[in-house]
Amino acid sequence: MTETAIELIGVTKRFGSLTAIDDLSLRVERGEIFGLLGPNGSGKTTTVNMISGLSRPTSGAITVLGINMLTDPRRIRRSLGTVPQENALYEELTAEANLRFHADLFDIPRQDLDKRITSLLELAQLQERRKSRVSTFSGGMKRRLALVRALLHEPELLYFDEPTLGVDVQSRHALWDRILQLKEHGTTVLITSNYLEEANALCDRLAIIDRGRLVALDSPSNLRRSFGDTVLEMRTRPVPGEEIVRKVRALPGVVSVIASDGSLKVTVEGGADVTGKVVTEVVRWTSLEEIQSREPSLDEVFLSLTGRELRE
Amino acid sequence: MSLRRNLRVVRAVAAADIRLTLREPLFAIIGVLIPINFLLLFLLFALSGGQAPVAVVMNDRGPLAEQFVQAMNNSQSFLIHTASPADAEREIRSGSIVAVITVPQDFDAALAAKRRIDLPVEVNNLNVDFTNDIRRAVPLSITSFYADAFPEQVVVTAQESDVQAHDTGYVPYLAVSIVVAGLMLASLLQGSVNTARDYELGTIKELALAPVNRFAVGVGKMLGAAALATASALLLLAVVILPIGVHPLHPLEVLGFGLLIIAAFLALGVLIGTLVRRRQQAIPLSIAAVLPLFFLSGPFGPANWLGDVPGAIAVVSPLTYAIAAFQHAFHGYQTAPQDLTADSIVLAAFTLVTVALTAFVFGRRGARH
Repeated sequence: MTETAIELIGVTKRFGSLTAIDDLSLRVERGEIFGLLGPNGSGKTTTVNMISGLSRPTSGAITVLGINMLTDPRRIRRSLGTVPQENALYEELTAEANLRFHADLFDIPRQDLDKRITSLLELAQLQERRKSRVSTFSGGMKRRLALVRALLHEPELLYFDEPTLGVDVQSRHALWDRILQLKEHGTTVLITSNYLEEANALCDRLAIIDRGRLVALDSPSNLRRSFGDTVLEMRTRPVPGEEIVRKVRALPGVVSVIASDGSLKVTVEGGADVTGKVVTEVVRWTSLEEIQSREPSLDEVFLSLTGRELRE
Repeated sequence: MSLRRNLRVVRAVAAADIRLTLREPLFAIIGVLIPINFLLLFLLFALSGGQAPVAVVMNDRGPLAEQFVQAMNNSQSFLIHTASPADAEREIRSGSIVAVITVPQDFDAALAAKRRIDLPVEVNNLNVDFTNDIRRAVPLSITSFYADAFPEQVVVTAQESDVQAHDTGYVPYLAVSIVVAGLMLASLLQGSVNTARDYELGTIKELALAPVNRFAVGVGKMLGAAALATASALLLLAVVILPIGVHPLHPLEVLGFGLLIIAAFLALGVLIGTLVRRRQQAIPLSIAAVLPLFFLSGPFGPANWLGDVPGAIAVVSPLTYAIAAFQHAFHGYQTAPQDLTADSIVLAAFTLVTVALTAFVFGRRGARH
């Protein structure tokens, strides 16, 4: 069995004159939780459509679970579980009817089906609502049911589009726990998300794509580290002017300086020595009212790599 | 993929669609009632356009005058009632009748004396179709009257020999054609609405991402839509058989061709739903597809009476073969050059090609997420 769950080699997708994906290569290992991040229109949906066989690349090769997606998409779908963003549940049918319909499509043997449905619904805490119409479910319950459905045929690879979009905090953590459990059982999980907090909490590795190109690929901690090791947030009086920003930016070890709303945000690399020099420089020109030191966030990494907020 | 597995997919898709349709009563009602409405509308059109309402002013009540009015009645072109000169004039001025025919006071006496008779015919020439009916039917009634009243004086008479075993009225003929159009409309509506619903609700992804044969999905969707289309078909047949009184000569043909017609247009409906992906577009498009095809497929008579261009369109229209087959099932005659086997083959081939085309379109365009 190959150790690679998904492999894209030089994949390009064009829609007329628009290049949606431009020479994208990446590899997802078996058993990892892999996050695909990018602002709207970056190409992540197009990428996932090609991985799940809903769309063909203009050029390049895609292998999923060791099978060529271009030649045998149906075989791949048997091992692929999908939780689309809009759930794709039949809202006027009951939870159980949705699951039985899925079982028919995936040819799940009938003899164990009832047991399997019960077990998965119990795990998702939906057993009591088994006979209820999906239209009566909350957003979080629908998400959990969509996940149960995707797991019913025991896929080797699970694709989860925006796992916790529109769900409450309690359901969010329940879903995260469930995804982490899947990893423990050896399932490969591919997620796309607009929540960097979610990507940070779940993903072993992240790929950031922008305008159809891969701009970064690493673990969340390595990505943060590549951006700098400390972020200093300082409130000063008077408000920091252009001159101070220019002087701080010129210091060695300073990665970025942003002045806004009477505060100065400085990202540095090089530890306490650089931090000390930055603070000394700032207090030479202004009075420091408050200072905070923390690790860089993925939002900041994302912003620096793409020049855009993730949820623009 | 094995037959058992494909059948499981077909059954599951069909059952889910039937349950969903029953839980959306508004769309179900629309799907059943629109074809019935279509049937009633066209029948009213046929009934209202068949005979011109005419008032006859009888200034002579002699036997020959009465026989002449009877000849007009027999022409099946007029809806005659007798009226006084004043009432007849009021009726034609108010637009409630098309013409006033006045039988002159000395009608019988003039005929006996072999004098020329001028028959006053006042026509409301507002609608040329009705006007021409009067212009054609009055001379025909006079000829017919003469042939009956004075057979020794009429030396040329038509010796009719009939191709068909019996006459078929305009309304019974048209009613059968309209039933076929109703079946087409019901099937198109159900097929297209059920499929477009999956796109609208996003549930098409569940089908697109499943490791199933697209053909099996298409057949399942057709069977799901067939449930309501069949209900609509039964209602259409009930209206034609019971109140209108058109009874099928070959009930088994009605059943067999009825199912074939429903299958053919369900397949086309599923294709339309796959292409437009919205119920709001699927409904008017289905209605719009039926109307021109109906008129170009020989609803009023054999399709090859339509002329060169419409006739060529009729040859490629599946509705032509459906109407020809149903006319045989109801009235027992062949209205087209091809026989019933050819009608069956065309309808079955159309169904298979359309399902295959739907599977191809679904595979190409899919339900991208």
